[in-house]
Amino acid sequence: MLKILVVEDDRELNRTVCTCLHHSGYEAVGCLNGAEAYDMLYAGMFDLIVSDIMMPGVDGYEFAQSVREVNEEIPILFMTARDDIASKQRGFRIGVDDYMVKPIDLEELSLRIGALLRRAKIAASRKVETGSFLMDADEHTAYLNGEEIPMTNREFSILYKLLSYPKKTFTRTQLMDEFWDADTETAPRAVDVYITKLRSKLTDCHDFEIVTVHGLGYKAVMR
Amino acid sequence: MNGEKRKRLIVSGIIDYLIFFAFVSFMITCCIMLFVSTLSRTLGVTLTGDNLEEAAKLTFVNVVFLSLLFCIVDLIRRRWTVSRPVRRITEAAERICQGDFSVRIEPIGRFATDETFHTIIDCFNQMAQELASVETLRTDFIANVSHEMKTPLAVMQNYGTLLQAPELSDVKRMEYARGVTDASRRLADMMTNILKLNRLENQQIYPKTAEFDLGEQLCECLLQYENIWEKAEIEIDTDIEDNVKVKADEELLGLVWNNLFSNAFKFTKAGGKVTVALLSDETYATVRVQDTGCGMTPEVGAHIFEKFYQGDTSHSVQGNGLGLALVKRVIDILQGEIGVESAPGKGTTFTVKIRRVPYELE
Repeated sequence: MLKILVVEDDRELNRTVCTCLHHSGYEAVGCLNGAEAYDMLYAGMFDLIVSDIMMPGVDGYEFAQSVREVNEEIPILFMTARDDIASKQRGFRIGVDDYMVKPIDLEELSLRIGALLRRAKIAASRKVETGSFLMDADEHTAYLNGEEIPMTNREFSILYKLLSYPKKTFTRTQLMDEFWDADTETAPRAVDVYITKLRSKLTDCHDFEIVTVHGLGYKAVMR
Repeated sequence: MNGEKRKRLIVSGIIDYLIFFAFVSFMITCCIMLFVSTLSRTLGVTLTGDNLEEAAKLTFVNVVFLSLLFCIVDLIRRRWTVSRPVRRITEAAERICQGDFSVRIEPIGRFATDETFHTIIDCFNQMAQELASVETLRTDFIANVSHEMKTPLAVMQNYGTLLQAPELSDVKRMEYARGVTDASRRLADMMTNILKLNRLENQQIYPKTAEFDLGEQLCECLLQYENIWEKAEIEIDTDIEDNVKVKADEELLGLVWNNLFSNAFKFTKAGGKVTVALLSDETYATVRVQDTGCGMTPEVGAHIFEKFYQGDTSHSVQGNGLGLALVKRVIDILQGEIGVESAPGKGTTFTVKIRRVPYELE
């Protein structure tokens, strides 16, 4: 069972978050302050941390920073009442993976945790698997039923991103952004060409499809 | 306090008198010098020390008396033309300090006082009027906030009570619990908006201007509502020009699109359509957000940008009447324009027009 550490100084909120995570099938451990959380982390392995920012003693920033110093991989999700951009930026700079503003929707929290854990798994194994389709980021190759499907680097990167976040629509700019520093005037439309090629290469794959979201972008949908 | 005041009055009286004395003696000395020297030259009169001494004594007494006379006349004149209006103004200012914004200073006769005081009195009255209207807004705002807060609180309280009943059926329990969740979410949304609006209204905002792709921002904002339109089966139509770069504050503009989109989805029923379009020319970028929702009458349309105004008085659709006030405030800060076209049953179209490069950067 995946273990989640919940650091939140409000007893009631801590309890409800833990209960909700239990219902979603995780093992949640709650602690009320940073010091307690450090002890917990020394004592056992955790797969994800949910933390408040404003806490007595060690605050969330400090806590996240010291966790990052010893563990670069563990996903950290901040839940906080502060919704200004500066606080968010500070969090993301420290290396926090997601940020939710209080009052948080418990359902959304468990969805986000699911997505974070999924991404952490992809990041750790550097592999995305969808039914009989497998993408290996180290080899930069894609397999369908164990057979290699030839792809260019850019096609691979676009598909890898789409499959890492299934059902999430990416705009053309987002799909292109991280992959190449092409001239931004024409590049967004160039993504259309890559998608067309990808689709024709994947006609035999029935585990997912790349859907066009009208005028906005593309997403991968599992079948 | 009073003794202090009297002392100050006496000191200033003495200083006034000395000034007048110096002034009068200077004038009279000059006149006499001129008079005497002319007289002695034309008539050949020689002046001896004795006559001079007597004349000097007499003149000195004369100077003392004349200075006193001037001083008193000046005092009376000032009492009448300065102290009277000053007293009225200070009294009115004191009442304003005590929170009475209805006070107005009566104008003083045109010729009875200096022109300066008429200007001050006019300004003062204007200020009192402005303060009064701000005060009304504030009281209204507090009344609205407390009403809007108490409603969801009452809902939560009631459902909480209902939930305590033993032998509640599972269906009812679920329903009541959902009631609590919905009400608390409404309250939370409202608090968030109030805080945002407060930040926008009470602080000097310096928009962080940077160049970005407006079309991309619109797409990304719109995609946040993907779940909603899929669930509600709302059709999306976009006509967004490529490469519309603007220089503006991206975060502030994001507030505008988020509010307009969430309104559009809130009021559009299943099977409806939301259209987002971006057009541009050299100076302006125009964004149109159109829905096929319930629409509104022109009377409602005229008020939608006011705080806590809700067209739908039944509150059947969730909202807190602050979203569009926020939008308007941001558009004002960014020196843009916003317009609305709507008719009941015909849907609503919001049009936002912003400069691609702000005035001050041109």
